[in-house]
Amino acid sequence: MAEQAQRRAPMAQAQEKSTDNNHAYEELRHLIVAPETEGLAAIEERLDNLEKRTCDVSEVVAEAIQMRSAGGDQALADALAPTIQETLRESVRRNPHVLADALFPVMGPAIRKSITETLRGMLESFNEALDNSFSARGLKWRVESMRTGKPFAEIVMMHSLLYRVEQVFLIHRETGLVLNHLVAPTVATQDPDLVAGMLSAIQQFVRDSFKSKDSESLGSLNVGDLEIWIEESPNAILAAVIRGHAPADFRQVMNEVLEDIQRYFSSALANFKGDAGPFRAADERLSKLLETRYREAPATDQKKPRALMIVGGIAAVLLLGWLAYSTYLLVEWSRFLGQLKKQPGIVVVGYNKDGRTFHIQGFRDPLAADPKKLVSEAGLDPEKADLQLAPFYSLDDEIVARRAEKMLHPPSTVKLAAKAGELTVEGSAPQQWIAKLEERAPLIAGVTGLDESHLVNSNLQQLLNIKNSVETVVLLFPLGSADLEDGQDQKLAEVETRLRELQSQAGTSGQSVNVALVGHSDTTGIEGTNLVLSQQRAEQIRRLLFRNGVKRELLRPTGVGTTQPLRNEDSEEGRQLNRSVTFKVSFAPIGAAGATAATTNAHPAGPAGN
Amino acid sequence: MIQKKICMLGSSSVGKTSLVRRFIISIFDETYHTTIGVKVDKKAVKIGAEDVTMVMWDIHGEDVYQKMNMSYLRGMSGYLLVADGTRRQTLDDALALHERVVLEFGKVPSLLLLNKFDLADQWEIDPAQTSRLSAAGWNVLHTSAKTGERVEEAFLQLAKMTLSE
Repeated sequence: MAEQAQRRAPMAQAQEKSTDNNHAYEELRHLIVAPETEGLAAIEERLDNLEKRTCDVSEVVAEAIQMRSAGGDQALADALAPTIQETLRESVRRNPHVLADALFPVMGPAIRKSITETLRGMLESFNEALDNSFSARGLKWRVESMRTGKPFAEIVMMHSLLYRVEQVFLIHRETGLVLNHLVAPTVATQDPDLVAGMLSAIQQFVRDSFKSKDSESLGSLNVGDLEIWIEESPNAILAAVIRGHAPADFRQVMNEVLEDIQRYFSSALANFKGDAGPFRAADERLSKLLETRYREAPATDQKKPRALMIVGGIAAVLLLGWLAYSTYLLVEWSRFLGQLKKQPGIVVVGYNKDGRTFHIQGFRDPLAADPKKLVSEAGLDPEKADLQLAPFYSLDDEIVARRAEKMLHPPSTVKLAAKAGELTVEGSAPQQWIAKLEERAPLIAGVTGLDESHLVNSNLQQLLNIKNSVETVVLLFPLGSADLEDGQDQKLAEVETRLRELQSQAGTSGQSVNVALVGHSDTTGIEGTNLVLSQQRAEQIRRLLFRNGVKRELLRPTGVGTTQPLRNEDSEEGRQLNRSVTFKVSFAPIGAAGATAATTNAHPAGPAGN
Repeated sequence: MIQKKICMLGSSSVGKTSLVRRFIISIFDETYHTTIGVKVDKKAVKIGAEDVTMVMWDIHGEDVYQKMNMSYLRGMSGYLLVADGTRRQTLDDALALHERVVLEFGKVPSLLLLNKFDLADQWEIDPAQTSRLSAAGWNVLHTSAKTGERVEEAFLQLAKMTLSE
């Protein structure tokens, strides 16, 4: 104002009127406009001055951001994102430790928790899957998994959220002393006083070590497959030792029980002086927590054994049956083996059982019994028998006898037997076969000797029979005659037949045969005449026989006169018998000396007689 | 049956653990001391007709490596203050600790045990001081964890004191 007054003074001296008007106008204008002008100038200055503008924005920036974010406006985040990203990048580039240190408290637990949860989930489903894969329930769940298309692990988790609350501790919070302790049946425990004390010590340790507030406390401990869940009220701690994985709502149940106890025992808890007696009354409330384990467990506990028992029972029966059958088979097979070993011509050197097939190794003579047939006869399945029997020549007596039979084709009247290599031949056989026997027997494998002492040559036997019958015949002659008496034709014919038989038999039996026709005479008449007559009688019979087909060389007529009378001649009958021709049959193996001698001796010569 | 929470207090190596070892039921390893700073053991005594279970909180002695966690003392009915009679310093520390305890928890039944009395020839605490402590209201016992001398008596006496509280 002082300045204005100084300025106004010279103006008033120079232009009195107009200056007065102008001055008044200026003054008016100033009065009217000045505040706005000053305001505008101030605003102008604020806008132009960067420092001031920054200051202005800084005052509202937090509120402004808050306001924008509150409105759910994404634009701010979008606008800030590049800058923040760039800032972080720059920060890390300059000094990575700053950001790392800042994030460390967050990152560590977050990563640990994530890994732990993932691993636990994996382990749980893996364990469950293992547990359930081989049970009836597991199969059921597998079917359900296929039907619903959900992974098996998920089905298992859904069904088997099993747990068992093994112990419940009610602990006085301040002292850590046990107020009550319940244990599920068959659970082994440590001294509850000490466990409770240590538990509350740990509780305090955690609280102090990690500077958590008093109201916050350790909620659970995990030890292997045990979990300890802890709930606290103002005066008490409730701890449940749980095997397995309890559902989250079990904590709710614990809370309710604890609240109930805190309410009911509030004065006892507050005035606790070490006497846990009053808290026995909390048994019922606490046992509710132990009972929770039955919620799901019994169903499976009962089903599992039943299913297991049925499956186990069937398995046991099958196993027993199988064992019994196997044993039976084994016994049968070994009995069969025993029989097989006794079989002549079969040698067992080894056997083994492979699955259901029985392998037998050894040797078998082609003439031994058919082993497949033996298997059937023993009541066993020939299909299950693998008989590896190599062929060989057996020296068993029975087999040697069989082999001999096969090679010798003995007649039915002959019996062959072998003993220690000696072939015994019994019965009767034609000469021809006997010859073959003697020739072949030494060639038979296993035959070292031949015993024919009980073998009869059947041809020789026949020859003997003929000899006997022929030699009984006496052909009679009348006195002094060399012609047969009447009625002797029948006898002659008989002799003829016999001799023809003899002829043919001699051929096949390998015997040389000759028949001496011995002429006799009685003592009447002259001795010399008698000799001749006897010779004539023999010659006469040879003629007759030759005429009827008996070979001439077979017959050797001879006269003995009266030298070999058949009877003494006391009677006519005796004399008659001495007027006769008799037969003497002799044979010997061809080439033997006896037959030739007989032939020469029997050569007839001499005159006729009586 | 009455339970009492009892604490064992004192510097490290004064023999707290040895003192109770022969007289208590223990299931925990001694490594608990160095891990969480406390080990809970149990001692049952009979006072008249009353069975008393003393739950002993054997608290790790304070040293340069580990500070004592005072919250372990909460709710205790009594404590045994243990000092090593052959090391004068441990008695001073024990008495200082006692001051802190009283400040925080008020007056609680307690006994002062001058341990390692089997080493009486190395004793650093003169009888005059012991008398002064007794005069100040301290119940002082000369104990030996090694020979067991007066240990049982100390427990019984403390149990009695807590019962009459």
